[in-house]
Amino acid sequence: MKFNFFHLMPYPYLPEDFDDVEKYPSMSLTFSNSHFDPAKGVDLYHRYLDELEYADELGYDGIVVNEHHQSGYGMMPSPNVMAAALARRTSRSKIMVLGNAIPLRGNPLRVAEEIAMLDHLTRGRLVSGFVRGIGWEHYAHSVSPADSRSRFNEAHDLIKKAWTTEGPFQWIGEHYEYRYVNVWPRPLQSPHPPIAVPGAGSPETMRWVAENRYMYVSVYAPTKVVKTWFDGYRKAAADLGYEPDPDNIALATPVFIGESERSAMREARQHVEWLFHKGLRQGAEIVFPPGYMSAPAMRGLLKAGMKPYPELSFEELVEQGYVIVGGPESVRNRIGELRDELGFGQMMTMLAMGDMSAEMTRRNTEIFATEVIPHFRTEQARETPPVVLAQA
Amino acid sequence: MTTVDQPAAAPARRLDIGSGSVSYFRAGSGRPVFFLHAAGGAGEWGPHHQLLSERCDLIAPDHPGFGLSDDLPEVRAMDDLVYHYLDVLDRLGLDQVDLVGASFGGWIAAELAVHSPHRVRRLALLGPAGLRLPEHPVADLFIMTPPQLLGALFHDPGIVESLLATEPGVEDILRSYRDLGALARFGWKPYLSNPKLEGRLRRISAPTRVVAAEHDRIIPRAHCERYAAAIPDAELVVVDDCGHALYGERPDAVTAAVTDFLAD
Repeated sequence: MKFNFFHLMPYPYLPEDFDDVEKYPSMSLTFSNSHFDPAKGVDLYHRYLDELEYADELGYDGIVVNEHHQSGYGMMPSPNVMAAALARRTSRSKIMVLGNAIPLRGNPLRVAEEIAMLDHLTRGRLVSGFVRGIGWEHYAHSVSPADSRSRFNEAHDLIKKAWTTEGPFQWIGEHYEYRYVNVWPRPLQSPHPPIAVPGAGSPETMRWVAENRYMYVSVYAPTKVVKTWFDGYRKAAADLGYEPDPDNIALATPVFIGESERSAMREARQHVEWLFHKGLRQGAEIVFPPGYMSAPAMRGLLKAGMKPYPELSFEELVEQGYVIVGGPESVRNRIGELRDELGFGQMMTMLAMGDMSAEMTRRNTEIFATEVIPHFRTEQARETPPVVLAQA
Repeated sequence: MTTVDQPAAAPARRLDIGSGSVSYFRAGSGRPVFFLHAAGGAGEWGPHHQLLSERCDLIAPDHPGFGLSDDLPEVRAMDDLVYHYLDVLDRLGLDQVDLVGASFGGWIAAELAVHSPHRVRRLALLGPAGLRLPEHPVADLFIMTPPQLLGALFHDPGIVESLLATEPGVEDILRSYRDLGALARFGWKPYLSNPKLEGRLRRISAPTRVVAAEHDRIIPRAHCERYAAAIPDAELVVVDDCGHALYGERPDAVTAAVTDFLAD
């Protein structure tokens, strides 16, 4: 199994009255950037990059950045900038950009170019994720949610062709038109960097990811719901006549690992609540704006009857499997159970969560690397010690 | 197409067009009135339909993607909608109509009248969208919660309260999500407007009545005023004690403002 260290780069310095949901209906889109303090921002960016670099040192298989706009929930409007910052400061881990929100881009060829550059800067360690962007980001970048899926599909087709077909060629599509497509550089990896796509239960996405044999990545959800997604993806693959490599199924989840079961539950509460009650405070109208979801996907979502994140207590979040919290042994056991139940071969572990301090994040990252990861290494991989601890 | 003499609760009919079909009501007799609905409430026979059909030959289609009409994904933008409705008029054999449109439907009506002035005998625009007036922004319908949206649509809080009293079912939510999704197709950006429309309104030759709600919290009154100023033969009337919902809030008064004008 592969373990990747996923960072959101949140902005933890919220106003004291942030619990006033009338005043602050969300941390995204409408939460004024007057609350962003550049003096704190500069330290946060460097701290967060240090944390990603540390995960590389500790032997995580991948370090993961992603894209969000106009939000304190995640401060990476350009994940490619962060990947570039990491490219020459790391040497082992894959650098996973999960991902570029391609429907939001006016010019998707820019993504093809930047990812190709990053593939060279990382010497072929790049994983290229493509996402649609959350609903609120379609407000933020003024892209119609009704066009989101078709823009995603066309941008993907264009980028992939730009990477794999000798140019120049012409592209005339519904959303994009180029008389000369001829990106320099071409990617280092052949035919192109691996592609990963997150899914939240949309049957169209499952089918599309399966058709392309890409990595399917979950998002925050209860275990029983994630199971239906992964089963749907495997079913879509089976319908196409193949069985997906477990490496192409990835569970993304926050993990808090304490020194003991009891201390973990005590320490994690505040940070898990920060993530779900503050970071993910967002109404359906900004997450699923009109046109963003297909009718079947919306029907599935309503039928799943998932509560809004802020309405879930810490206990419910743990019990339903939105997060993994525990001491080393229980986290190991839990991951083993989940792997057996869900059949994934990769984890995107969010070990830096919400308002965790740098010290706590470092400890969380270290304990997971020393107490959990080795347990899941194959015999072959164990021969080379994966964990290099500077000062454990 | 034959007209229906019995107007009460007219059944929805279908017209094959484009990649599928659209649903429409047709009831009453007399001069044809082509009624283009607002973003909400498509597919339901309402009091305004009833009142109009008692005085004219009412033809009220659901826009593509709305109500009981198919998506017709090839209808991607406002200019496509204009050609869609020209096709509908042709298919129904309607050379010239009295054209009535409310809100989003008012925008379509104005675009149709700009494109083909000769096909419109009289034009009534009820709280029309369609103009880009940065100094008088239209409220963002897409980002409102259902209670916020209803609160903004109606002037009478009693109506809002009674509408909110019943919890919507899954099918209700899906229906309104689909309608708003279709609205996003035509009006996300530019937001519910065609920046070129105002300069083209001079082409409209039909006598025109613009009907404004006294308390419009969605589309500011200035939009109605600019329509009335830019269309050569236009007048502005205001319906008191009414919000942007217009025929949804005061069907009698709003329909009377239309039928009085069309009767001339």
